[in-house]
Amino acid sequence: MSEKYKTSFRVYSAWNYQKEVEDLNRASEQGWQLKKGGCFHSRFVKNPDIRYRYQLDYGKIDNMGRYIETFREQGWEYINSTFNGWHYFRKLYDPSLPEEDYEIFTDRESLKEMNTRWARIALAMGGVLGAFSLMFLVKLFRTPDLPTLIQLVVLLVESAILIRGGLIMRNPESSRNRRGDGALIAAFLAVVLLGLTASITLRELRPDFYTSQSASSVDVPVIDNRWADFKVRYPDNYYLDLDMEADAPMTFAIVNDKGETVFEKTESDFHGEDIRLRLPRGNYQFSMSCETGYDLKCSID
Amino acid sequence: MKRIEPLSESYYYILLCLARGANHGYGIMQMTEKLSGGDVKIGSGTMYGATNNMMKKGWIHEIMSDEPGLERRRLYQLTDSGREVLRGEIARLRRMLENAEEV
Repeated sequence: MSEKYKTSFRVYSAWNYQKEVEDLNRASEQGWQLKKGGCFHSRFVKNPDIRYRYQLDYGKIDNMGRYIETFREQGWEYINSTFNGWHYFRKLYDPSLPEEDYEIFTDRESLKEMNTRWARIALAMGGVLGAFSLMFLVKLFRTPDLPTLIQLVVLLVESAILIRGGLIMRNPESSRNRRGDGALIAAFLAVVLLGLTASITLRELRPDFYTSQSASSVDVPVIDNRWADFKVRYPDNYYLDLDMEADAPMTFAIVNDKGETVFEKTESDFHGEDIRLRLPRGNYQFSMSCETGYDLKCSID
Repeated sequence: MKRIEPLSESYYYILLCLARGANHGYGIMQMTEKLSGGDVKIGSGTMYGATNNMMKKGWIHEIMSDEPGLERRRLYQLTDSGREVLRGEIARLRRMLENAEEV
């Protein structure tokens, strides 16, 4: 016997989970029975002979065995849970039973508790993202460039959506008759994708937005003092690889345009990789000095 | 008497259904429906949340049934503090009713 399967890629916003429940009930009526529910896709199997009613619960469950048993006692079959804490249940539909028998939250307090659980996490995450976007705002003022602007916009939009979702979930009555959640999700995904594509394209087209044009590899087989210039256009953490070998101790230094030494090493034999340097934007100079002959390799990126 | 928060309807009925002895979730649900003449129902989500919270508060605890045919079935049992909470709530409700009659 061949079974018919189908995968649905419908995405629901958390504050609109009742819509998902309604859609699952309708799908069951049309013969599509949920096999595995998910945030981004759900699997269905065709079986026109039975009809289920569905419910969704949200939260971190302390005792999964007790949880599933509590539902099973009242005829609920546990289907699965998503990675982020949504739990799918179904019950065989019997038209002779009253509608309340298909509710899992039977008082306002427990429904509110469940909604608050989600709202709290969403508000906290929205707050953190909000704080991040403030950081990006500060960064934007210091070094105005397009990637920072894009990141800022993405963060602001994400933060706003999460906070809005959290507020709706905390107080569902205040926002009945909302529409356009699908459009909102599409817009959100579009913004994220656009942001990512733009960042990546910019990184490809103008690598100097992100990294300094460094003296990529300096080989200086000269006895005298030598130097090389480089410029940092974008403040960031840079990683220095340094190989020094000489008969006498040699000094390698990186000096900024104010004449301050940001890095210095005096050694006759030294090999270092990924030495982290925080470099603000500006002009820099490598300088080397040694009494005798030396062999030096360095790169920074 | 220590002032306690009024119990929600579900919490009250769960405690009440355990006053005579341990019971499982389904038993509590049926007994609640019967006692209230079908007015109060306790759904699974409400039941799990309420029992979970009351176990955390130490009002009830879980035991495993040793009755024949019901082995290893989860039962809930009132603790002393749970019994005290229930008594306090009943006294509060009684006083409220008496007050209503006085007016």
